[in-house]
Amino acid sequence: MSIEWALVGFTLFVGLSVGTFGGVVATEWWGKATEVRLPGAIAALVALAIGGFSSVLHLGHPERIFGALGHPTSGIFMESLMLGLFGLDILAYLIAMRRDASDQRRKTIATIGMVPAILLAFAVGDTYVLASRPAWDTLILPVIYLVSAGVMGCFSLSVLIARTKVVETIATTTAAVNRVTVYALGVQTVLLIAYLVHLAIAPYADASRSATRVLAGDLAPLFWIGLVLIGLLAPAMLTTLLGRKKAENLTPLSSAQLGLLCVLVAGVAFRVMMFSLGSSIRHFF
Amino acid sequence: MTEKPQKTLVIDLDRCIGCHGCEVACKQENGVALGVYYNKVLSVGPVGKFPDLEQYFLPTVCQECYDPECVKVCPTGASYKRADGTVLINKEICLGCRYCIMACPYGVRSFNQEKKVVEKCTLCTQLTDIGEKPACVKNCCGKARFFGDLADPNSDVSRVLAEAGSDSVHSLPDAGNHPSVRYILHRKTATWQDGHVRGDFS
Repeated sequence: MSIEWALVGFTLFVGLSVGTFGGVVATEWWGKATEVRLPGAIAALVALAIGGFSSVLHLGHPERIFGALGHPTSGIFMESLMLGLFGLDILAYLIAMRRDASDQRRKTIATIGMVPAILLAFAVGDTYVLASRPAWDTLILPVIYLVSAGVMGCFSLSVLIARTKVVETIATTTAAVNRVTVYALGVQTVLLIAYLVHLAIAPYADASRSATRVLAGDLAPLFWIGLVLIGLLAPAMLTTLLGRKKAENLTPLSSAQLGLLCVLVAGVAFRVMMFSLGSSIRHFF
Repeated sequence: MTEKPQKTLVIDLDRCIGCHGCEVACKQENGVALGVYYNKVLSVGPVGKFPDLEQYFLPTVCQECYDPECVKVCPTGASYKRADGTVLINKEICLGCRYCIMACPYGVRSFNQEKKVVEKCTLCTQLTDIGEKPACVKNCCGKARFFGDLADPNSDVSRVLAEAGSDSVHSLPDAGNHPSVRYILHRKTATWQDGHVRGDFS
């Protein structure tokens, strides 16, 4: 099917928002990197707003969106609800910061926000799990969206930490964030392989949605360059170099920024690949 | 499966000559926009090895599923199933999210770029509700199309299916949506192809 760019933007920025806020919540539990919380929460809110705006661009009649309130079982209802709750929670968190709320209260507000956030990151992928589209008909897809949000969050947090330029903060948090990033990239790799296996064994086999098309067909450049090289190897390398301080010409900030850019590009590449593989069982018109 | 009323089409592929008259009649009756279809005739084949080649024509249309995925995923209830089994779209409340297009296993729904809503075959309810037949059925020069209620043993569709025999009655792949449209194709004409038809890539 054709690439729905508005939905690419929606799911990408929602993932970035969830990941970034996840990083903020991690610092709350960790009790470190307090400097990143305000910019992190603002960045998460801005990314969520951009994502929400992108989804509106996809609709033919956005003014009718309230009609969705009457049908709580649809995927779009779940996405809208979780997006709203998540956005409200970030706002509540920002207000709590502004009012100098206690550590415990702030932590509680932030943690509660992760419930709709995680559900949202999962739901934006789960919406595509349709029996009519064999390449999408797997729960691996929403899990990839969720883990992708985590990977984006790791790099987003790295950028926020590096931006503080506070030596102590950077010294005490970078190694741990990098370790989590590498684990997340490892999980992402496993999920990508699992998705290829799904493509190979999905029912109603068709060249338009085959693993061969991804590995050696017209989608191969997107897969090997966009996902493997830019999405997995480059971020992993940047993370490990950053951790070991061997990147002489790369400051921690530029390394983290480059890593974030890589995972965002890979996020777009994966979504483009997903739409390209999303042919229906039969496509008559 | 046939206890509830289920208005649908039965298409006799032994009789279809691939004239595309049903497409034209449908467009005229329903004012279907240029480049959009409610109903499209595809060629299947030729398959086999020369000189033993087979080909038939497959008029494709909304399959009026018993358990339509398009209805399940619609966020506003714009896609709905009427009491007589017809799957319809209320364009007044359609959000234009195109989720139903993604959920349809056959790609028989279209997005109207001008009205910003999704459209599909309506089984010409404007005609059938007053006792007439859908435009494609009325205008089929090969008398290959039949309209009626599958639950009614005396309807046109039930009668022709009974005459054809179960071995010659086919339907499109079922992904849990249970399509109700039936195709009649006897082996003497061609072998039913479960695989792809020409043009089946998008």
